[in-house]
Amino acid sequence: MAEVVLSGVTKRFKTVAAVESLDLTVHDGEFIVLLGPTGAGKTTTLRLVGGLERPDEGSITIGGHDVTHAAPAARDVAFVFQQYSLYPHLSAYDNLAFPLRSPARRVPEDEIRKRVGEIAEMLRISAKLQNRATQLSGGEMQRVAIGRALVRRPSIYLMDEPLSSLDAKLRSDLRLELKRIQQDLGATILYVTHDQTEAMTMAVRIGVIESGRMIQLGTPREIYTAPASVYVATRLGQPAINLLPVGLLPDGGAPTGGKTVGARTENLRIAKAANGSANATVDWIEHLGDQNHLHVTVGDHKLVTLADPESDLAKGDRVSLSLVDPLYFDASGKRIAASGKARIPQGNG
Amino acid sequence: MTDSSAKAGVAERVAGATPAPLARRIRGLSDKAIAWLFIAPTILLLLAINIFPLLWTIYLSFTNYKANRKAEIRWEGTEHYTDILSDPEIWHSMQVTAHFVFWTVAIETVIGFALAYLIDRRWRGHGFWTTVILIPMMLSPAVVGNFWKFLYQPQIGLFNYGVSFFTGIDPSSFQMIGDVSLAPWSIVIVDVWMWTPYVMLICLAGLRSIPDYIYEAAEVDRASTWRRFWSITLPMALPFIMLAVLFRGIENFKMFDLINLLTSGGPGSTTEVASITLKREAFESWKTGYSSALAIILFVAVFGLANIYVKALNRVKQR
Repeated sequence: MAEVVLSGVTKRFKTVAAVESLDLTVHDGEFIVLLGPTGAGKTTTLRLVGGLERPDEGSITIGGHDVTHAAPAARDVAFVFQQYSLYPHLSAYDNLAFPLRSPARRVPEDEIRKRVGEIAEMLRISAKLQNRATQLSGGEMQRVAIGRALVRRPSIYLMDEPLSSLDAKLRSDLRLELKRIQQDLGATILYVTHDQTEAMTMAVRIGVIESGRMIQLGTPREIYTAPASVYVATRLGQPAINLLPVGLLPDGGAPTGGKTVGARTENLRIAKAANGSANATVDWIEHLGDQNHLHVTVGDHKLVTLADPESDLAKGDRVSLSLVDPLYFDASGKRIAASGKARIPQGNG
Repeated sequence: MTDSSAKAGVAERVAGATPAPLARRIRGLSDKAIAWLFIAPTILLLLAINIFPLLWTIYLSFTNYKANRKAEIRWEGTEHYTDILSDPEIWHSMQVTAHFVFWTVAIETVIGFALAYLIDRRWRGHGFWTTVILIPMMLSPAVVGNFWKFLYQPQIGLFNYGVSFFTGIDPSSFQMIGDVSLAPWSIVIVDVWMWTPYVMLICLAGLRSIPDYIYEAAEVDRASTWRRFWSITLPMALPFIMLAVLFRGIENFKMFDLINLLTSGGPGSTTEVASITLKREAFESWKTGYSSALAIILFVAVFGLANIYVKALNRVKQR
């Protein structure tokens, strides 16, 4: 395992910049998740580290060695692709053994057998080792693909949405499994996803990417409680953060320059109210089983929050809404600290 | 008159205008009967031009029938079959055919796959060169046969000139078509020239079907170019290569036009493949019964070999 440093990396495809002067340091043994919507440049960043793309500007070092223009094979990285990139004519066992059988590595055959056995055990595919890749189910194929990366001990594991093609149950199983494996092995992982749950649960640090630029890099908690901008704030939270003009709801004093208020469920206080003190109306309630989404209209703004499952609120009820420690953003969308109480830690993005 | 009764009037008139007997007749038929009605013309046509001639050929192969002579048809049993299978000339033409099929298919597969592999690198201008390479395949065999005859001319032919240019041999010292030892190769060269593009096209389809990310995964896994070729490219393109071999094999087993134009089976009988022998017996010697038997033997041979091969192909595909 080793430290990976990207500095000022830019990659253009024709005239479009997929990644623009990106700086990122992945510390030894760290699990960093790059979060962003489709087309933000996450995958390109990963491919640049893996050597599948070469940067137009900037440099990349792995363990202190400059690998900016090195071939993938010379970088000592392992890559898990979004698609099941298995060798279809080989068995699951041979797929897992493939990277170890590289002539450059010269791993003895009984060592290979031991390593493949361990990884198969870890990923619970031991029973399927003799099956051909094409005879495996989707979840098994992706586990073999992840296993093929894990049999090696590279400087860094690069994972491009490895769980996105799996069903919800398997996804949450493998999410825990990956996190556990990472801690057991002390592995350095750079992981790309657009799934906020994966980012929140697995990452040591999250990097939020927008249009090829790193907008904010910090611990999941920092990203959640102190987003640098409206864009970052909308990446996290379920239901999504509500953005309202300052002054629409009582909030105990907005800082100067604050134009937009960001309110998540935990920032909203809701109470049934008589017509006189009410400022909002319940539109409808979405029952999701474990939680209820409450859709509320304030003036001409609509917002969504969680309702207590035991709450007796019903459609058409008049309620009073108020804000508790919400997030404030200025006219350009940057977050500004709430006036008075500096309870929220600053992000180091 | 109310609105609804006016509508009913229209409906009655529409129903009256429909030719009732036809409607009733079609309605009276079952779905199966209607299906048969639709496919019957095709089946009749197939029976008339495919199945009947086949059965008739089988019948004729047991008789002494001659198509150019009006005589009583006499049943001769399996006499033609035993004659053919013990005739050294037939076995010779089978050998010539095997030589032709083996070498054309082998060379076309190797060169065709190599070309496809190069084209698949997607270098600048590969689209243009693909089209250029495909030209021979688009020509008529009659044209190809005739101009290769010119190319093979010892005095004025470009082929002999080219060979002498590169080796220094006197161009008029050898004849591709006239020489007993060179003639079998002359037909192989022309067939390879004409049909390698076809094999290339099928192999290219196979290579294009391999997704890039498998190569990328292998690259990250430190597989050498050589190892990527042997463990990804070749196994994944193999079903396509086998398909090309099947098509070319069947096609060349019954090759007639090119060889007939180039050498007509000569010199002597050195390039007399089975189809040329068949044509000689049927339309020069007019031994219709005998040649029918030969045709049946060839048919069974191709059919049997192709079947075994297709089974193997399916096994490879299922892996």
